Amino acid sequence: MAVVQAILDGLMIGGVYAVISIGLTLVFGVMGIVNFAQAEFLMLGMFVAYYAWAWLGLDPLLAAPLAFVVVFLLGAAMQRVLIRRVLKAPEVAQIFLTVGLLIVLENAALLMFGSSFRSVSTPYQTSSLQLGPLFVSVPYLAAFAMSVASGLALWIFLKSSWFGRAMRATAQDPMAARLMGINADRMHMLAFALGVGLTAFGGAVILPYLTASPTVGAQFVVLMFTVVVLGGLGSVAGAVVGGLAVGIIQSLSTLVFPIQLQNLVLFVVFIGVLAFRPKGLLGAAR
Amino acid sequence: MATPLLQVSGIGKRFGGLQALSNVSLTVGTGEIVGLIGPNGAGKTTLFSTLVGLYKPDSGSIRLDGRDLVGLKPHRIAAAGMVKTFQNVALFLDSSVLDNVLTGGLMRHSVEEARALARRCLERVGIGAIADKLARDLSFPERARVEVARALCTEPRILLLDEAMAALNHAEMDEFMTLLRQLREEGLTLIVVEHHMRAIMSLCERLVVLNFGQMIATGTPAEIARDPAVVEAYLGRSAA
Amino acid sequence: MNRLSPTQWLGLAALAALAIALPFAFDPRGYGIRILCLALLFAAMAQAWNIVAGLANQISLGHAAFFGIGAYTSTLLLIHFGVSPWLGMVAAAVLGGIAALLISLPTMRLRGHYFALATLAFGEVMRVIGNSWGGLTGGPVGISVPFSQPNFVLLQFRETRSYYWLMLAALILVTLVFIAIKRSRLGYRLRAIKENADAAEVIGVDTTRTKIIAAVISGALTASLGTLYAQFQFFFDPDTVFGVASVSVRMAMIAIVGGIGTAAGPVLGAFFVIPLEEVANQVFSAQAAGLSQLVFGVLLILVILVEPRGFMAIGPRIKRLLGKGDR
Repeated sequence: MAVVQAILDGLMIGGVYAVISIGLTLVFGVMGIVNFAQAEFLMLGMFVAYYAWAWLGLDPLLAAPLAFVVVFLLGAAMQRVLIRRVLKAPEVAQIFLTVGLLIVLENAALLMFGSSFRSVSTPYQTSSLQLGPLFVSVPYLAAFAMSVASGLALWIFLKSSWFGRAMRATAQDPMAARLMGINADRMHMLAFALGVGLTAFGGAVILPYLTASPTVGAQFVVLMFTVVVLGGLGSVAGAVVGGLAVGIIQSLSTLVFPIQLQNLVLFVVFIGVLAFRPKGLLGAAR
Repeated sequence: MATPLLQVSGIGKRFGGLQALSNVSLTVGTGEIVGLIGPNGAGKTTLFSTLVGLYKPDSGSIRLDGRDLVGLKPHRIAAAGMVKTFQNVALFLDSSVLDNVLTGGLMRHSVEEARALARRCLERVGIGAIADKLARDLSFPERARVEVARALCTEPRILLLDEAMAALNHAEMDEFMTLLRQLREEGLTLIVVEHHMRAIMSLCERLVVLNFGQMIATGTPAEIARDPAVVEAYLGRSAA
Repeated sequence: MNRLSPTQWLGLAALAALAIALPFAFDPRGYGIRILCLALLFAAMAQAWNIVAGLANQISLGHAAFFGIGAYTSTLLLIHFGVSPWLGMVAAAVLGGIAALLISLPTMRLRGHYFALATLAFGEVMRVIGNSWGGLTGGPVGISVPFSQPNFVLLQFRETRSYYWLMLAALILVTLVFIAIKRSRLGYRLRAIKENADAAEVIGVDTTRTKIIAAVISGALTASLGTLYAQFQFFFDPDTVFGVASVSVRMAMIAIVGGIGTAAGPVLGAFFVIPLEEVANQVFSAQAAGLSQLVFGVLLILVILVEPRGFMAIGPRIKRLLGKGDR
């Protein structure tokens, strides 16, 4: 039964992993850039939600759309000022631009918010539902539900809106997209903003059960990369599968390994997948 | 008859749902210049890439002087004496012409020896004067020659040229063909993929025609020109 | 190729004399000389990174793995078996080379972003192991090199300037290795891989073997520099020696700032970045944690945006501008 419980917990957190990683995979899919700073936008989302709670008394789940909007705008600006300049640059420039961004965001947060850990208190924080012999923690469930909702919203956006289709066209064939009158530059901006906004949204919904701090992103960097690499870098559907898989792997590994070694299991999975299935377990690039 | 230099039999290669090559066989004797022709997408470049080991064939064998090369990595096949040039010219753009060419010589020689050999190869293809230029700054005809010089610097026994003349004008093409004939005189064996029919008809004594990954004809240029299957492959394509 | 002219030899000799004499201008145990030591050490580390990243364009974000392995190897050998750190350095190089071989096997087919990701994860694996395997490494609280009377065999010196000469020798050695590789068959092959790996294979370059050899040399050198770091600092913990920002990114950044793929780049970069960081630390750390790191990050972004080929590209650029002005 412990195993079933662990799988259930894994699914719940995995749903969140999926959403925060969709942002990363979207940026790569459309622009061909791995954003090493992606996890910092999760941290920013957490802080937006934290201050919305502290100052406005807003529940983090309700503040999640706000986190999305704020970070969306920030992302659009960053794409315009920074990322756009390295899209055609050598990979080393692309890699170290986002690595630099990671360092800047983390330390700017340290300066602005201080190094202390911040958490919110919500009425449902410690409650859980019982399903026969199984328990579902309410904050996990809420975060999972919000993630599913945002994932669905993104899916509908990509499938049925003009912007969504234009963005996918840009990802598949930039040349053809341009011939069809799609402004690639604008699509890149939209993709980057949407990508980091979605990750921030994920950051906000996990605030009820995780503490925010400027360095919280570091816990998620390799995790997010594992998710997208498992699913195939650039594939949105893959990120969902990868997210659930990582959630379950992580949750199951707690049954076997001490807590510090949990990440180790992930790293090994990560390097293994990169080495043997670099296009993801599903094998579909994009 | 002695063993042919290159004996390819029953090569098949599939990419997902696309059968890029099926049951391709050909034989090339030492000192021959064989032309490989066919409509776009017929599998010519795929065949070359498979021969030099960039792709592993799903079936069939590739024998160079009797030795089976299937499954060997490209550098091993280069060491065995078979090298190809790239259709879109794959030079090391940020290196000098001389450095590009000498890299081909490192397989069998020290840097100093390879440099001397590279100079000779550049002379051979008639571009000794541009040795110190950056590959990026070259004209297309020059690039094509550097690519050939680099392949020659590996001291191959058989050289596969993939549309090496694509960027050349008529005069340059004639010069280039003179070069190829001269290389043949010096004992090199060549397989040439080319779109310019005039060039390939005058250069090669034997042609192999591919269509949809299959070999549809082989023979002298005169025979090929009369072959109904070939005519259909080409006309069928332009009619479609 | 590029044989040096007599004037250049003279200039180089003058530079060497200056470098050797420099410590006499500093307080032998002071703060200034410590910064110089660190700058030399990081220049050497950046040079080791440069072998793989600069020549073959395999951008590693995990070189801290080798560095940390080096620091722990010699220190643990000294603590438990009384092995001289000189021998420890050799052991470190061997283990660093083996680690590089092990990580190369699964990652050698990867390029660009994928390679960076895989090496990043490898560095993090080592950091997690360093933190969790407390019985061996002392865990997150760190480990101290046993202090003894200044002793050449134990690689411990009374005066900081002795370390300076040691670090200088290390930098010169690693730079000579870099130059030798660059001019050798290995160097030509690495550059061929960097520019077009398929074309390189087809003309006879064993790309897999070439990359592994370079990675092993780079890993071994980085590990031995880890030993020097341990002996210099006397105390370190997993987050420092296996750190992404503190080691992996910093050594890469130094090479990039100076000029990736060039022999002089890492030296220029280190003597710019390390003192700047120290000054930022001095000036800002009292006011706010994070500010000097912020400066570090901003600097990295600026260099990437302004001139991703670093200082070494600025000279020719100015020349070209002036040349155009003449006409």
